[in-house]
Amino acid sequence: MTGPADAIDDVYRAEFGRALATVARMVGDIGIAEDAVQEAFADALRTWPQRGAPANPGAWITTTARNRALDRLRRESARVAKEHDAARLRMPIEEAQVSPVPDDQLRMIFTCCHPALSPDSQVTLTLRLVCGLRTAEIARAFLQSEHTVAQRLTRAKAKIRRAGIPLRVPPVHLLPERTPGVLACVYLVFTEGYFATAGPSAVRDDLCDEGIRLGRLLCSLLPDEPEAQALLALMLLNDSRRAQRRDANGDLVPLEEQDRTSWNRSAIRSGLDLLGSAARGGSGPYLAQARIAAAHATAPTWADTDWSAVVAGYDELLRHSASPAARVNRAVAVGFLHGVDAGLAALDEIADHPRLGASHLVPATRADLLRRAGRHQEAAEHYRRALDVATNEPARRFLARRLAEIGGNGIASEGSRRI
Amino acid sequence: MYYLATLMGRDDVPGAEPGSPEFEAEVAQYAAFDEAVGEVVAGGAALYPSAESRQIRRLNGQVLVTDGPFVEHAEVVGGFYVFDVENLDQVIELARQLPAAADGTIELRPIAVYTPHDVPNADWWMALLWETPEAVIAPDTPAWDSAAADHQRFGEQYAEAIRGGGALHPPSDATTLRVREGRLQLTDGPYPEFAEVIDGLYLFAAPDRAAATEIAIRIPVSDTGRTELRQVVDLGE
Repeated sequence: MTGPADAIDDVYRAEFGRALATVARMVGDIGIAEDAVQEAFADALRTWPQRGAPANPGAWITTTARNRALDRLRRESARVAKEHDAARLRMPIEEAQVSPVPDDQLRMIFTCCHPALSPDSQVTLTLRLVCGLRTAEIARAFLQSEHTVAQRLTRAKAKIRRAGIPLRVPPVHLLPERTPGVLACVYLVFTEGYFATAGPSAVRDDLCDEGIRLGRLLCSLLPDEPEAQALLALMLLNDSRRAQRRDANGDLVPLEEQDRTSWNRSAIRSGLDLLGSAARGGSGPYLAQARIAAAHATAPTWADTDWSAVVAGYDELLRHSASPAARVNRAVAVGFLHGVDAGLAALDEIADHPRLGASHLVPATRADLLRRAGRHQEAAEHYRRALDVATNEPARRFLARRLAEIGGNGIASEGSRRI
Repeated sequence: MYYLATLMGRDDVPGAEPGSPEFEAEVAQYAAFDEAVGEVVAGGAALYPSAESRQIRRLNGQVLVTDGPFVEHAEVVGGFYVFDVENLDQVIELARQLPAAADGTIELRPIAVYTPHDVPNADWWMALLWETPEAVIAPDTPAWDSAAADHQRFGEQYAEAIRGGGALHPPSDATTLRVREGRLQLTDGPYPEFAEVIDGLYLFAAPDRAAATEIAIRIPVSDTGRTELRQVVDLGE
């Protein structure tokens, strides 16, 4: 049985972003709307336990927040008669009750993901204003201090207000330019959780969940955007193996060693369905990545993976974006399809790319290909190079383990420490 | 609302030298832009190359005037526009059409206080007010009000000469814009190559460089700030 506070918490998760988006559109100010929705939830916490929750909690929160925001604007315009505040008050307020409008949330998403905001700001704003995560929750998810996150939010909201970033869905002619930025922000939330770049855990579940939640929201708000469906498909297909990606110690378990019977079948089914309908809509970078993820998700065993489908997926992806990391992954797939030498040759083509210079990706991939060819001495050398530059703890432990497996020394003791 | 679009580009190229055929060709492009977009243009000027600029600083209470650019940069301020539009999206749509977007960089900043100006004449000068990012004052603070009072006094004293000007919102509200291979590139924040940021500007009339310098050294700037004096190009009508 759940108490009233839990009930309000559920409403908070479901309704915060919806109510905020609608009130922000009505009062034309995100900061005032955010404060007002926060106050409305404080009112709910005070009154619902005694009077019981209203029949339509979302409308109750939205209406209460709208009234709170109007009260504040009236007080402020009485104190300092600012022309634009007075103008805001001229809006129609005859409706006694207002409900959240889905299009308002699309406006809010495009505003949070505006390209004049840094990617960090976009992600943080989206988690706060669309997902309704509290500052402390965002800080925990990104392993940052609350102060840092609060400052970033304040700065980003000040920029929206003072630089005049509009609360709107861009006009149709700008959508092809702006939609990829929104998709990228949502995918960044997911990947930040799934491929955690810092800290002790290889997967941060809350960010994966928020990414998928945002992906579902985008699919409902942009029903004619195949790349939104492809993005959700990609996230679901990857997420189907989230629980198997790490072992009891939090260490990464490579795809080929994962227990495939434990993959989340319903996530895979949903992902494949979405992939099917996205594929009917055209092509794009997320569709290509979803195809690669689907090839892995549907392979009965690692050995039975359809490597030609994986390589074709990378070829398609590289037509949309010149990502050096994608070329590295393609080299791995080429290695399985055409043999280790072909894979090493494909890796050589990209190894000198400046954007890969500081990453462990190239030496780790080369080491893996060499290990599979039984060339252990060469492999060990490249595992050590990868260890020199890898920063993510689980990735370091994984590389050290591989090095120990092929009889390398030096860092091997670090890999065995976890036993 | 008013936005300042500061146009940064190389000024060691023929196109930056007033009177050259390349310069005239660029002027024609900007004129066509002005014609096409109409009354959203609320101000603007082209500047003579930075080699002819003058820097004014305060050091231990003394005014220090030096000739030439403060620091050598590949790209320098070559001119500016002021746009009067409703939001950032509209100013981005305008700025991306400017030639400087394709061969240089444009910084977009909301203007906090703006005094509009006419089409510049041959005797116009521009004072660019630079500040270190940490020392920038935000609007609606006591420090801002105090600085505004100083500028008010300066404005009254030199009302005859002053032709226009503006004070900017902080650099954290800036957006930097480029167009490369036809694609719009936006970044959050001010033009990253300069150690200092633009804090405000004045346009005023003076018969010669010496007289312009006399006015420019009276412009209130902080101890960490700097005034850059540039001559405005008379582009005719």
